Amino acid sequence: MTEALAWLIILLPLASFVAVALVIRPFFNRWSIAAGWVTIAAIAGSFVLSLVAAAAVFNDGSIAYPSRQWIAAPGLVIPFGILLDPLTAVMLVVASGVSLLVQIYSQGYMRGDRGYARYFAYMSLFTASMLGLVLARSIVQMFFFWELVGLCSYLLIGFWFTRPAAAAAAKKAFLVTRLGDFGFLLAVLYLFFQGGELLDVPTLYEAIHAGLIATSVATWIGLGIFAGAVGKSAQFPLHTWLPDAMEGPTPVSALIHAATMVAAGVFLVARFFPLIELSGTTMDVIALIGGFTAVFAASMGLVANDIKRVMAYSTVSQLGYMMLALGVGAYIPAIFHLFTHAWFKALLFLSAGSVNHAAGTFDMRYMGGLRKYMPATYAVMIIGGLSLAGIFPLAGFWSKDEVLVGALENGSPVGIMTFLLGLIAVLMTAFYMFRAVFMTFHGSWRGGADAEAAANASAHPAPQAAGGHAGDGHGDGHGDGHGDEHGSHGGVHLAESPLVMVLPMGILAAAAIFAGILVNPPTALGPIEKHFFGEYAAHNKPVFPTHEDAVRAGAEPHFNLVIALASTALAVAGIGLAYTFYGRGQASVSLPAPLAKVHRVLTRKYYFDELYERVLVNNLFYRRFSAAFEWIDTNWIDGFNYRVTLWTERSGRALTHLQNGQIQAYGTAIALGVLLTLAAYFVWGA
Amino acid sequence: MNLENVLLVSAVIFGIGLFGVLTRRNVIVVLMSIELMFNAVNLAAIAFARFTVPYSLAGGPVSVTSDAVRQVLTGQAFAVFVIGVAAAEVTLGLALAMAIFRRRETVEVTDLTTARG
Amino acid sequence: MGAHDLWLLSPQLAMAALACTALVVDLATGRSKLVLWLSLIGLVIPAALSIALWAANPADTLVFFGAASVDRFSLFFTLLFTGVAAAVIVSAEKYASRFQEQRGEFVGLILASTTGMMLLASANELITIYVSLELTALPVAALLAFLREDRSAEAGMKFLILSGVSSALLLYGLVFIFGFTGTTRLDEIFARIGDLQASGGFDSTVPFGSYGLLLGIALAISGFAFKLAAAPFQMWVPDAYEGGPTPVVAFLSVASKAAGFAVVLRILYSAFGSPELAVEWSALFAVLAVVTMTLGNLMALPQKNVKRLLGYSTISQAGFMLIGLAAVSANTSAGSLVAGPQSVVFYLAGYAFTNLAVFLGVIAITNRTNDNTIAGFAGMGRRAPVTALLLAIGLISLLGLPPTVGFMSKIFVFNAAVNSGLAWLALAGVLNSVISAYYYLRVIRAMYMEAPTSDERITLDPSLGVATGIAAFGAVLFGVAPWFLLRAAEIAVRSLSGVAGS
Repeated sequence: MTEALAWLIILLPLASFVAVALVIRPFFNRWSIAAGWVTIAAIAGSFVLSLVAAAAVFNDGSIAYPSRQWIAAPGLVIPFGILLDPLTAVMLVVASGVSLLVQIYSQGYMRGDRGYARYFAYMSLFTASMLGLVLARSIVQMFFFWELVGLCSYLLIGFWFTRPAAAAAAKKAFLVTRLGDFGFLLAVLYLFFQGGELLDVPTLYEAIHAGLIATSVATWIGLGIFAGAVGKSAQFPLHTWLPDAMEGPTPVSALIHAATMVAAGVFLVARFFPLIELSGTTMDVIALIGGFTAVFAASMGLVANDIKRVMAYSTVSQLGYMMLALGVGAYIPAIFHLFTHAWFKALLFLSAGSVNHAAGTFDMRYMGGLRKYMPATYAVMIIGGLSLAGIFPLAGFWSKDEVLVGALENGSPVGIMTFLLGLIAVLMTAFYMFRAVFMTFHGSWRGGADAEAAANASAHPAPQAAGGHAGDGHGDGHGDGHGDEHGSHGGVHLAESPLVMVLPMGILAAAAIFAGILVNPPTALGPIEKHFFGEYAAHNKPVFPTHEDAVRAGAEPHFNLVIALASTALAVAGIGLAYTFYGRGQASVSLPAPLAKVHRVLTRKYYFDELYERVLVNNLFYRRFSAAFEWIDTNWIDGFNYRVTLWTERSGRALTHLQNGQIQAYGTAIALGVLLTLAAYFVWGA
Repeated sequence: MNLENVLLVSAVIFGIGLFGVLTRRNVIVVLMSIELMFNAVNLAAIAFARFTVPYSLAGGPVSVTSDAVRQVLTGQAFAVFVIGVAAAEVTLGLALAMAIFRRRETVEVTDLTTARG
Repeated sequence: MGAHDLWLLSPQLAMAALACTALVVDLATGRSKLVLWLSLIGLVIPAALSIALWAANPADTLVFFGAASVDRFSLFFTLLFTGVAAAVIVSAEKYASRFQEQRGEFVGLILASTTGMMLLASANELITIYVSLELTALPVAALLAFLREDRSAEAGMKFLILSGVSSALLLYGLVFIFGFTGTTRLDEIFARIGDLQASGGFDSTVPFGSYGLLLGIALAISGFAFKLAAAPFQMWVPDAYEGGPTPVVAFLSVASKAAGFAVVLRILYSAFGSPELAVEWSALFAVLAVVTMTLGNLMALPQKNVKRLLGYSTISQAGFMLIGLAAVSANTSAGSLVAGPQSVVFYLAGYAFTNLAVFLGVIAITNRTNDNTIAGFAGMGRRAPVTALLLAIGLISLLGLPPTVGFMSKIFVFNAAVNSGLAWLALAGVLNSVISAYYYLRVIRAMYMEAPTSDERITLDPSLGVATGIAAFGAVLFGVAPWFLLRAAEIAVRSLSGVAGS
């Protein structure tokens, strides 16, 4: 693979962005349908090239293309270039592959939206920046694309910017992730002051293996990088933006959740894994935050009524798994889980979008019985759900199992603790996932968007504007502010989605089934070698100088039957519980209590989560915290700011009085300037 | 008559010119004062050419060489160019003064304060 | 003197010929549009000759007994001035209707002044420097007075008188330098100073080694500071900017300043580049830089007129460039002497694109509204979306935010300062950038956040639109991909004898 081809992976979607944004949208918006095709063609090209790149890595291992100089001023050299290692290759395939399917699906989902061309322009740029991030050789380059990913997600979450909720969600996502980015920036600067050449990733790896980086330095840099990852991957305590980010179009959520934005955080930690590994403190912090987030987010997913919010909490929880795995040193299982998760999570989001296409709402309390009307969506959602829950032999089973094995085999107290957290999360995951499936597809139809509108109307006597389905801010379809040009989503439309939407879901379903067993089988399967994925990821000399290093990072995970059985049992139990309570498609509001005891526990759990979200996160975290912040802001920063502004403005105003328009005053200034210069030399000179 | 004396005279003339520029109100007189400053410079240039041969200000070797001849000629050429350019400058100044006088019936620099602040 | 001299000086000669042609064609035909387009096409000739000379890179760069040196440093600026002149002439296509019957002279005078700048950038001898300097300044004084308004004539007069005073100071300084060293050629001055230092003719307790040289250099720098718009020699700037015709102001702000910096760089490094002297003048520029950018920024804050605001902005930008002049590394280890001048040259080129985008955008809008106040720009984001966008790009670049060239320029200038042990100067620069955000963003806010005063759309003329677009594109391009310009700046700077020697 030549370097030019590698650059083309980024440049293709970038070119499609330029073509759509600067040519099609301003001049040919009437034929905006072309925007979709241009984008799909470009991303398909990137996908093919990504496969070529992955094959090249398979043959050659890690390929570092020459480092070029973006800036080369004396004393300031900033390199850029392409680094193509197994991690990059996996991310490339995942990002371009998921993006390709999402774009195809969007052709159907976004049809008729007034912002059709704008949507595809953003999507192209989003994909390009993610591909640029994973291909970056220099850390400055990485940071640039990292920020570009953040910017694009801001644009896409706020895509329907006329809706206040969407604009607020976009702003929240942007600001919260920025908090983490600040840590990342500090880490980059700290690294820069350790030596400018360390900004080049391969050089950094060499320096690490040569023992040139002190542990304390590694700890601080690692924590800074992890702060960036916490923001992007929505880990506790910066997880709050992700559920709100559901305001964007559903395909955007699929892309953000599966392959791009949130995966970027995991990618970043993985990219700096050799550095982070130097510091046990950083590793423990990552493992504990990851494990905690896995349970914490899943618990919130148990009670959410918005199908996209369930998925969002699920994503946060699964990312917690990946962070946990990285924290206990199971680098390869983490990447493997990222890989499998991308397919089934994209599938679940696209299914949710398909459901919304029919029901006109995302609120599961108004769904039910959709199994009859959309059998294909039902089938793929079950597959995605089983894969997410980790049922043998679907993709999710294998990767989740490897993560759990990695945590247990780590052996340290942190490892055991995170292992237990992981097991708890398994139960919860299966429960909330199948609760969502049953609420949506089982039982009888509860009226969808129409019923929701009626319920809202009775709750709020004031008539709702625009289409009558303006729900609780996120549950509604799209296009309040857009009038009804997006009519197909506006109301109830009980039928299977068009083929252009079902087809990508079918492909993703296949991936959700087979991406585990066929990619990283515990034993050789015909032409597929044992631990194919593990060996592939381990084929990375700069990160794992010896094969033992790779094995320690989980290249050859042992298949632990006890763990497999335990986690499967928990998953099945979760599904069973979900069936018990929601099997006939009950909406949570009218939950009967046949199993009073378990029910009471669950109800309490329910309140606990609500409590957690409302009191702790909203009240304590936001109100108290923001009150404190506000106090500091008004009394200190703002007061200071105000005083400084006032002072500068006043001095500016005072100085302009000197500018009296008199030529001779100006001439005097010149003469005085000369005299002062001479006087200064006489006084201080030589 | 030596270099120091001539430079002193030149400095005095330069000072008088500068003082005139900064204090006189009539544009024509201001332009004349600028001219005075230029002529002070010319005097200094000629003086340097006439009284010094290379390095002598800093106390270097003194001898009549082609360098010395060149220096004499350079100083005079300097003055000739300055005279020429100063003439152009004054011409333009007078033209502007005329334009301002026609519009505003004033030749006082202190009236030219429309733009300020 | 011979064919080689003529070949070396051909861009300047072509430009002078073009200026004469423009005046003659105007006299003969009286058709100003013809003059305008003829000159625009004619500008290709000096540009092509400059490029050819850059490519040929002749070994002997001295022209007419060393009066000028046509090296890559001067060619870099020759190209820059040609481009700026083209942009200014395009920008005056509509604006020039206000000049009534003098539209042809406008082009001729701009070209004459450009000739002066081109000579100034290559001048290697004190008399040539002075004559070229006046050749750049006098046409500008006439051009500033071109409008039939009180303020315009006033602007011309202010510029002329103050320029006269500073010329006199400069000349006095140059004469002292001549008197002290006995020569007017910069390379010979460098050699003589070296001889004197070697023979112990320098008094190390006196700044610049002797009072004669101190007086000469201090007066000369003061005189040039007028051109650079460095405080306290900058007071003419806002008044002249407010009164003069906007295209002329654009020319003054971009080309004239670049010419000033070019000649100062050449004098400082070619004649006074020895480390002992560099320490002395570097300190002066450090002080000038701080005072200039602070004064410019503070005084820009209360401004209400966009042209006046841009005048103060020009002053503060000059302050940032002065940081690069101050950044002379005390240790002359490999390459360290390049950083300062390289950053200045890069800044000047980037600033040309940036400021042209701003000025051309302002011209495009005020041509129709005839309102130079910031309030007059309210709602332009809706009334003139393309122009407002290009103008906003320019303003963001002036403010120094990525991904514009303004950001890169500041990075390089600050980097040069830090590498020369002037971290405090870089810090002052960063603080000043923060202050400047206030007034630059005010214009952007007016354009995008405030309600328009009328619903009338303001269309962009094709020629002006292309010129503004190129300028804004350059401002972004060199912000994203600075290496090409950075390399060119380095090559240019290395051809200066004082820099290359290190």
